[in-house]
Amino acid sequence: MSATEMNLLDQTFARLHQEGRTALMPFITAGDPDMETTLDILRMAEQAGADIVELGVPYSDPLADGPVIQRASERALVHRVTIETCIETARLAREQGLQMPIVLFTYYNPVLQTGLERFFRLVKEAGISGLIIPDLPYEESEEVLRQADEANIHLVPLVAPTSRERIHQILARARGFIYCVSSIGVTGERASFAQEVDDFIKTVKAGTSLPVAVGFGICSRQQVEHFAGFCDGVVVGSAIVRKIEESLSLLQNEASKEQGLLQIRDFVAQLRV
Amino acid sequence: MAETTIKICGLQSVEVLKSMIRLPLDYVGFVFARSKRQVNADQASELVKVLREWKSARAPKSVGVFVNPEMSELAEITSRVGLDIIQLHGAESPEFCREAGSRLGVQVIKAFSVQENGTLHGGMNIEDYAGVVRGVLLDTYDPVYGGGSGVTFTWEKALPYQLWAREQGIPCWIAGGLHTDNVAELIMKMNPDGVDVSSGVETDGVKDLNKITAFVERVKGKMAQVPDEHGRFGPFGGRYVPETLMNALIELEESYKKFKDDPDFQAEIAYLLKQYSGRETPLYYAERLTETLGGAKIYLKREDLNHTGAHKINNAIGQGLLAKRMGKKKVIAETGAGQHGVATATVAALLGLECKVFMGEEDTKRQQLNVFRMKLLGAEVIPVLSGTRTLKDACNEALRYWVSQVEDTFYILGSATGPHPYPMMVRNFQRIIGDETRRQIMEAEGRLPDMLVAAVGGGSNAIGMFYPFIEDTSVQFVGAEAAGLGVDTEFHAATMTKGSKGVFQGSLSYLLQDEHGQVQPAHSISAGLDYPGIGPEHSYLKDIKRASYYPITDKEALDALQLLSRTEGIIPALESAHAVAQVMKMAPEMSREQIIVICLSGRGDKDVESIMAYTEGREA
Repeated sequence: MSATEMNLLDQTFARLHQEGRTALMPFITAGDPDMETTLDILRMAEQAGADIVELGVPYSDPLADGPVIQRASERALVHRVTIETCIETARLAREQGLQMPIVLFTYYNPVLQTGLERFFRLVKEAGISGLIIPDLPYEESEEVLRQADEANIHLVPLVAPTSRERIHQILARARGFIYCVSSIGVTGERASFAQEVDDFIKTVKAGTSLPVAVGFGICSRQQVEHFAGFCDGVVVGSAIVRKIEESLSLLQNEASKEQGLLQIRDFVAQLRV
Repeated sequence: MAETTIKICGLQSVEVLKSMIRLPLDYVGFVFARSKRQVNADQASELVKVLREWKSARAPKSVGVFVNPEMSELAEITSRVGLDIIQLHGAESPEFCREAGSRLGVQVIKAFSVQENGTLHGGMNIEDYAGVVRGVLLDTYDPVYGGGSGVTFTWEKALPYQLWAREQGIPCWIAGGLHTDNVAELIMKMNPDGVDVSSGVETDGVKDLNKITAFVERVKGKMAQVPDEHGRFGPFGGRYVPETLMNALIELEESYKKFKDDPDFQAEIAYLLKQYSGRETPLYYAERLTETLGGAKIYLKREDLNHTGAHKINNAIGQGLLAKRMGKKKVIAETGAGQHGVATATVAALLGLECKVFMGEEDTKRQQLNVFRMKLLGAEVIPVLSGTRTLKDACNEALRYWVSQVEDTFYILGSATGPHPYPMMVRNFQRIIGDETRRQIMEAEGRLPDMLVAAVGGGSNAIGMFYPFIEDTSVQFVGAEAAGLGVDTEFHAATMTKGSKGVFQGSLSYLLQDEHGQVQPAHSISAGLDYPGIGPEHSYLKDIKRASYYPITDKEALDALQLLSRTEGIIPALESAHAVAQVMKMAPEMSREQIIVICLSGRGDKDVESIMAYTEGREA
């Protein structure tokens, strides 16, 4: 594979590895509160030093998500945001000069209804690098993985502390990086993490040559620092989405929008280690 | 009903034939006529040898397929290969068939192509072959003459010829355009003596063992043997959940399998169902309802007489005991109307388990009485504020909670929905409804019913009623789903009538959704049917056309509730009233000799308040 064809995620992790840095990976819900602001927030996140962004497709029944991201989805769905408009937003972000790789985070049904072939064509055209489908365990993912590989889109797997003997099956099919679920439960900020989480992540790291990122519940600089000690990437989701929620009144007013965006940028920036 | 025989035609490869060696095939066909599947006598001899090594109960018979052969050629190949049967596919005359049969000492089958207009290709007259052939094969699909008006249509064209064969006392095979997904429908509609398949079980022109196996399962009445090991009912079902839950589901499946056939576990369930829940429930002949509707004889399976007032207790007892065996001290449940919540709270009290019930806030208002009952029973009721605040969101929230407490908590799922193994497990705990009905109707009538009718939301009472009859193809299955204010409005829960295939709450099934895959809110006056999904086995039964599903509006259900109350003195649950409403439509069209059994899944006490509100609202 030539350098130009190399997946942007691989390039990014390789560069960070050389620099000895851990990737800061914010998650944002596309269309919250609207697509134009999502484009602004993506730009702010990159300015703040984010390395990879997870773009969440809002869904009516987000099983793996806690209340913060549920509310963000509801806000986005008020404007009838669809999976295709989310992909289009990614394409526009690229067009406007966004450099960092985009990982699309979506539940399976919207992908299924788009049709796998059409979905992967759109995703590829939009310059999206990876895909996370939280309700698609490896037993059900064969065809998706095949088409993802064909499109050179990484289907990134989730590994949970309850995965145990499933870990090696998951790692064997992994692409791009491994997403370690920090603790059992849905997404949402956690005050602290059990010691077992570190051991679990280290077990995963020992079983793969791919980068390992951790997510679910990480909300403070202190926590990012902790995980940066032994992870290749740290995902911060609900905490940023909550920041967006808190800034809504600023974001939805033209006069104060810039101030709202700066708040979000500063929040992301202080997470960078 | 005699078992439908299977003939797989066009075998060429010894290896492929060997791979099929354990399948219960009845006939294997080799094509000697010019075709892309043609074999010569030497190849066929090698293939026939494989039949002698067959590992199923009996070896399939060998069939040679010819088109207008010379008698000498036919004789030579038949004896060299050792064919059991000769199938003549051309314009062979009755005389030729007679001579072949008597000279070669083999059975002769004549094949005919049924055309769109119902006549036989080549102007042949099937009656000329009376007494000459030992069987007929009707090829109902001809790509040249077929005209693309659909296989189902042409099957019906074959009916007179099939009847003729039956009168002659000779078997009749149906061929042409068959594959795994339509053969069950053919068997339902035509009940043929045999089916013949060739290209329908091939991939890229080669016989495909997986397709043949699936085809055989469909034909040999193995509809009851779903799901497969992946939790698939045909394409439906599966396990679409966050990774965190996967091991919990695998552990649940393993424990269920382990205890399912454990006599102690079975005895414990049987004891509680009898002494605690009051089973068996009566099968009651609703004479006044029958007279009022003036058609088929109507029986009610009285699940409403269970302890807690609905069929839900059957499943809650089963899963509660399983939870206990698995050493879980905490159980959770979702509930719509509150019936499953009450059943779970009851069983939790009985077994000393801590219980949380998730219920949409909207439903806690509609079903205040059940909320109070659950609290009395010591359960914690958690109102769900997300989404539409109804049953689907209660399921979401129960699943989310389970993800966070998966290590010590058992999720008692109330319907035949969700990820594998729930649809299978719930069905098996509910099949007691159908098992009892079967026994009771045989006692009462000496025969099976013509039709079973049940309400479907997720579909647990319906699948429990249907499943023990699944191979009795004379018994029609009818599901009544909630049409709310009407299927042409936005306010309904008619998943089968208006839905499409999608993944929802852990499995692939029919689903109310928009074109972008967002789940649509459902509406029904009945909180128990107010759900945009349906159990995957129902989707499977719909697609293989084993069951039919019809929408019933809120108003129709209320009218049915009143009719049953006034004619029989039984106030049904709003859910069950949907089944009664469907019978009000169908029974008058049926004869007095026919028998319908309604699954009266629950009693209506819980609904009295919402019925009052509705009727007062209507009058106001």
